[in-house]
Amino acid sequence: MTAAVLPWVLAMLGAAIFLALYRLVRGPGLPDRILALDTLYVVTTALLIALGIWLDSGVYFEAAMIIALLGFVGTVAFARYLERGDVVE
Amino acid sequence: MSAPLPPLVDAVVAALLVFGGAFALVGAFGLAKLGDFLKRLHGPTKVTTLGIGSILVASMLWFGLRGGAPPAHELLITLFVFITAPVAAHMMVKGAMAIDDSTKPPPPPERPHDAG
Amino acid sequence: MLFALIALPFAAALALMLAPRAGRNLSAWTVGLAALAGLAILFVLAPAVFGGEVLRARAPWIEAIGLEFFIRIDGWAWLFAFLVLGIGALIVLYARWYLAPEDPPRRFFAYLALFMGAMLGITLAGNLLLLIVFWELTSISSFLLIGFWGRRHEARAGARMALAVTGGGGLALLAGVLVIGHIVGSYDLDLVLASGELIRSHPLYVPALVLVLLGAFAKSAQFPFHFWLPHAMAAPTPVSAYLHSATMVKAGVFLLARLHPALAGSTEWLLIVSAIGLSTLVLGAVAAVFQQDLKGLLAYSTISHLGLITLLFGLGSPLAVVAGVFHILNHATFKASLFMAAGIIDHETGTRDLRRLGGLYAAMPITGTLAIVASLAMAGVPLLNGFLSKEMFLAETLAFESWPSYQLAVPVLAVFAGICSVAYSARFVHETFFGPKGHPPKTPHEPPRLMRVPVEILVVLCLAVGILPNLVVADLLALGAGGVLQGPLPDYHLAIWHGFNWPLAMSAISLAGGLALYAILHRRGIARRIDLLSRGKIAFEGIVAALIGLAQRVTRTLETGRIQGYLLWLLAFILLVGASPFVDLAAPLSTKPAQPAGPMAVGLWLLIVAGALTVTVAYRRRLVAVIAMGIVGLGVSLVFALLSAPDLALTQLLVDMVTTVLLLMALRYLPAISPPEPERLARWRDGAIAVAAGLGTTAIVYMVLTRPHPSIAEYILATTMSEAGGANAVNTVIVDYRGFDTLGEITVFAIAGIVIYALLDRVRLTALTPFAAKGPAPHSLLLNLCAQLILPLAVAVSAYLFLRGHNAPGGGFIAGLVLAIALILQYIAAGSEWVDERLDHDWNRWIGAGLLAAAATGIGAFAFAHPFLTSSTPHVHLPLVGEIHLASAMGFDTGVYLVVFAACLLMLAMLGKVSRWEARD
Repeated sequence: MTAAVLPWVLAMLGAAIFLALYRLVRGPGLPDRILALDTLYVVTTALLIALGIWLDSGVYFEAAMIIALLGFVGTVAFARYLERGDVVE
Repeated sequence: MSAPLPPLVDAVVAALLVFGGAFALVGAFGLAKLGDFLKRLHGPTKVTTLGIGSILVASMLWFGLRGGAPPAHELLITLFVFITAPVAAHMMVKGAMAIDDSTKPPPPPERPHDAG
Repeated sequence: MLFALIALPFAAALALMLAPRAGRNLSAWTVGLAALAGLAILFVLAPAVFGGEVLRARAPWIEAIGLEFFIRIDGWAWLFAFLVLGIGALIVLYARWYLAPEDPPRRFFAYLALFMGAMLGITLAGNLLLLIVFWELTSISSFLLIGFWGRRHEARAGARMALAVTGGGGLALLAGVLVIGHIVGSYDLDLVLASGELIRSHPLYVPALVLVLLGAFAKSAQFPFHFWLPHAMAAPTPVSAYLHSATMVKAGVFLLARLHPALAGSTEWLLIVSAIGLSTLVLGAVAAVFQQDLKGLLAYSTISHLGLITLLFGLGSPLAVVAGVFHILNHATFKASLFMAAGIIDHETGTRDLRRLGGLYAAMPITGTLAIVASLAMAGVPLLNGFLSKEMFLAETLAFESWPSYQLAVPVLAVFAGICSVAYSARFVHETFFGPKGHPPKTPHEPPRLMRVPVEILVVLCLAVGILPNLVVADLLALGAGGVLQGPLPDYHLAIWHGFNWPLAMSAISLAGGLALYAILHRRGIARRIDLLSRGKIAFEGIVAALIGLAQRVTRTLETGRIQGYLLWLLAFILLVGASPFVDLAAPLSTKPAQPAGPMAVGLWLLIVAGALTVTVAYRRRLVAVIAMGIVGLGVSLVFALLSAPDLALTQLLVDMVTTVLLLMALRYLPAISPPEPERLARWRDGAIAVAAGLGTTAIVYMVLTRPHPSIAEYILATTMSEAGGANAVNTVIVDYRGFDTLGEITVFAIAGIVIYALLDRVRLTALTPFAAKGPAPHSLLLNLCAQLILPLAVAVSAYLFLRGHNAPGGGFIAGLVLAIALILQYIAAGSEWVDERLDHDWNRWIGAGLLAAAATGIGAFAFAHPFLTSSTPHVHLPLVGEIHLASAMGFDTGVYLVVFAACLLMLAMLGKVSRWEARD
C-alpha cells in the first residue's frame, strides 16, 4: 500500500515545490522570496525522505539531515541582511 | 532491506505519508495564495511541523520495523528541524519589519492621561 | 669520482648556507678546500686524460626528454676545469682579504661556490641539455655575485642587465641545442661531435648555428651584446676577476670550441664568427683606451681579447684553434692578475679613477711590478705569455684566405687593435704607477701579504709560459686543443723566436704604434677628456622601457575592471576551443537512444530552468538574483541525489550555503541595482555569446552521454575495496585514485583563500547597500541560543561525516564545509568579535596545517616504499559510526578537511573585516 501511495506523495511534494517557486518568482517583496526559498528547502527535506522510502535506500538521509541542520543558515543570512544591511557584524 | 511490513503498519505508513504530503501541499498553497507576507508566513510552518513530521514518522516505521538500525537519522532530522525552523521564521519576520513598516505591529494604544 | 668532482662546489655552497655563523676564514676555507679537492681529483684523472682517454660517468635524470646526468671529461674539458678550479682557488684566497668586515662572507662565498660549480658543470657536461642547465645556473649565480652589493644602484642595474642579456642568450642557446638534438637525434655530446657532416648538411643548420652563436656571444660579451660586461664591474673585484678572466665570459668561447667539430667549417660559421670577433676585437680595444675607470679599462680590454679568441675560432683552421685555446689560457692568467691588482689598488687607495691615481709605484712597488709585468703580457710584449699567442694569432690572420678585401682587412684591423691594446696597457701602467702623484682618498700602501700571493702566482705563470713555453704549457695546450678538434693536431711549435717574419713585424708595429699613440694622447690629455661609454646601455634601457610600456598598454586594454569584459574574453575563447570538435558536422549528435525522461526528471528540469530564467530576468536587482540562485543550487543537488550521487548532492548543498552568505557579504558594497548595460549592440553580442556557450555545452554533454564510451567507472567500482580500502567510490577517487589531483585542488583552494586575504587585508570600502543598519548591533537572543545549540550538533555531524566518508557519503570536503557553515552561523548570530575572541582565527595557519597534513600523508607512502600518495589500511569498527578506514587516506582527508574549513572562514573573516574597518572610521 505504501508503494501505491508513494508516487502520489511525491507528486504532492513536487507540486508544493512549484507553488513555492511561484511565490519566489512573483515576490513581490524580498521577505516573500526569502520565505519561498526557505520553504523550498523544507519541502526538499521531506522529498528526500520520501524518496528514500520509495527507493528503499538510506543514502538520502545525510542530505536531508544537512538541510534540516544548516538549510536555515541561508535564510538567517538573508533576513539579517534585510535587517542590518550586513551579515556578520 | 529485509522483510515486508505487516499490513496494518503498511497502512499506517501509507496514511502518514499521504497526510504529510497533503500538509506540505496545503502549506505551500497557502504560501502561494495568501494576501500578504505575515499571512503567507503561516503556510510553511505547516510544512515544517505536520508535513515533515508525518513523513519522518513514516520513515521511522518503514526502516525501523524491518529489522534495521534504530531510526537515529529520523530523530536527528526531527530535532534539527524543530530547532531551526522557528528561528528562521523569527529572523524573517525581523527582516521584514526592518524594511517594511506595514509589517510592524501597531503601537500600543496610548494610555489616557490622568488629568490633574 | 667524476660525480664527486662536480658535487664538491655545490656541497660547499650548501654547507655554507647551513652554517649560520661562518666567518671570513671558515667560509673561505670551505670553498677553497672544495676547489683544491677538485684540483686534486683532476690530477688523479690526469694520467688517463693525458693518455688520450675520454672519461665518462652517467646517471639517469629525465630520460623522456633526453636529459642525462652525463659527465664527460676529455682534454678540453679537463683543461677548462683546471682553469676554473685553479683560478677559483686563487680568487678565494684573494677574496678572503678583499672583503670588508661588514660584507657577509658566508653569502659571498656560497654564491662563489655555486658559481664555480655551475661553471664546472658547463665544462664537464656530456649532455647538451645538462650543459644548458649549468649554463642557466651560471647566469643566475653571476647575477647574485654581480649584485652582491645590492644596496648600490649600479650593482643592481648591472646585475639585472647581465642576467637579461646572458639569460636571454641562454634561451637562444636552448633553442639552438634543441634544433641540434632534433638533427642528431640525441643530446649526447659524443654523438653530436661525431655528427658534424650531418649537422652542416641539414636544412636546419643555419638556424641552429645562429641560435647557438647568439647564446655564446651574449655570454662572451661579443658585439653587439658587449655592453653588459662593463656594467658588471659594479661587482666586488674578486668577482670581476673570476667572471671576466677565466669563467663566465669564457663560457661562450668555451662553447664555440666545444661545438667546433659539430658546427664549424662552413661559410656561415666563418663569416658570422670571424666578423663578430673582428668587430668586437677592434671596438673593445678602442673603447678601452678611453676609459677613466681602472676596471672599466680592463673590462673593455676583456671584451677585445674575447673578440680575438672568437675571431680565431671563426677562422676555423686547426692552427687557429690551437692559438685560440692558447690565448684563452694566457688571457685568463694575465687578466685575472690585472683585475686583482686593480682590486688591490682600489682597496688601498679608495678609488679606481685613473684621473685621481698616479705615482703609486713608490708606495706599492711590489704590486706595481706585478701589475706592470701582467700589463706587458696583455700588450703582447716578448718573453711573456701574451706575446706567444698573439704571435700565433697574427700569423693566422695572415694565413687566412677569403675574399680579397676581407682577407686584407683582417690583418690590418688586427694590427690596429694591437696598437690600441699597447696604448691602453701603457696607459694602465703609466697613469697608475708613474707620473705626478694623484689624490686618492686613502694613503696608499702595500696590501696584506696573502692578498698579493694569488697575483704573484699568476704573474710568475705569465713569465714561465712566456720564457719556457715548451716546458710549461706545451702539453696542456696539446691536450686542450686536441679535445677541441677531436682529432689530430696540426703541426706547430711554441717558440719565442721564429726568425724575422711578418708576425714579428706586425708585433713591432703594434708596440711602436701603441706607444706613440699613447704618447700623443697623453701629452694632449685627450684620453682623460673622453669617456667612451657604450651606447648599448641606452639601447638596452630603451628596449626595456618600450617592453614595459607595451605590457602596460596591453594590461590597460584588457584589464578594464569590468567583469563583463573578462567574461567576454573567457567565453569567446572557450567557444573557440570548444567549437573546434564540432567542425566535423558529419558526426552524429547521438549514437544510442536517449533514456526516457520520467516525471521527476522533467519536474527538476523545469525547476532549474525556472530558477535560471529568474536569475537572468532579475539580474540587475542583485539581491533577488542571489535568492533565485538558491533555486538552481537546490535543483542541481536534487539532480545529483536522484542520479544516486549523494556525495555530490551534499557538496552542492553546502557549497551553495557558503556561497550565499559570502555573496550577501559582498553585496553590502554594491549598489542594490546594478547599472544598466551601456549599449544595445553590446547587449545583443553578450546575449548571443552566452546562448552559444550554453547551447554548446549542452551539445557536448549530450554527445558524450549518448554514445558508448569506455568508462573507468567499472574499474574503480570493482577495485575500490581491494585497492583503496573504501566502499564509497566517490571518496576513494578523491583521496586515493586521484589523490594527486585533490592535492592540487586543495592547494588552489588555499591559494584562493590567501589571495583573498592579500586583496582584502587593507581594503576599506563604502557600504552601498540600501539596507543600512539602524541602531546598535542586534543580538537576537533566539538566534544566539539556536546557534550555540547547533554548533555542537554540527561538530558531531561533521565528525560523523568525516569518519565514515570512506565507506558511505561524506568525507573531508563535506565535513569541512559542515563545520564551516556552523561557525558562519556563530558569526552571524554573535558577531565576529565575539567569535574571534573564543577561537584561534589565524586561518592562514590552519590552511597551512591542512596542506602540510595532506602532503605529509602523501610523502608518508614513501616510508612503505610505495609511490606518492598510495594508501594502505587497517580497519577499525566503531559502534554507531560503522566501519572506519584508518588508512593513510584518513590523514590526507584531514588535510582536505582543514583546508576547506579554514579557507571558507578566511574568506568570511576577510569580507567581515572590511566592514569592521568601516565601523572603526
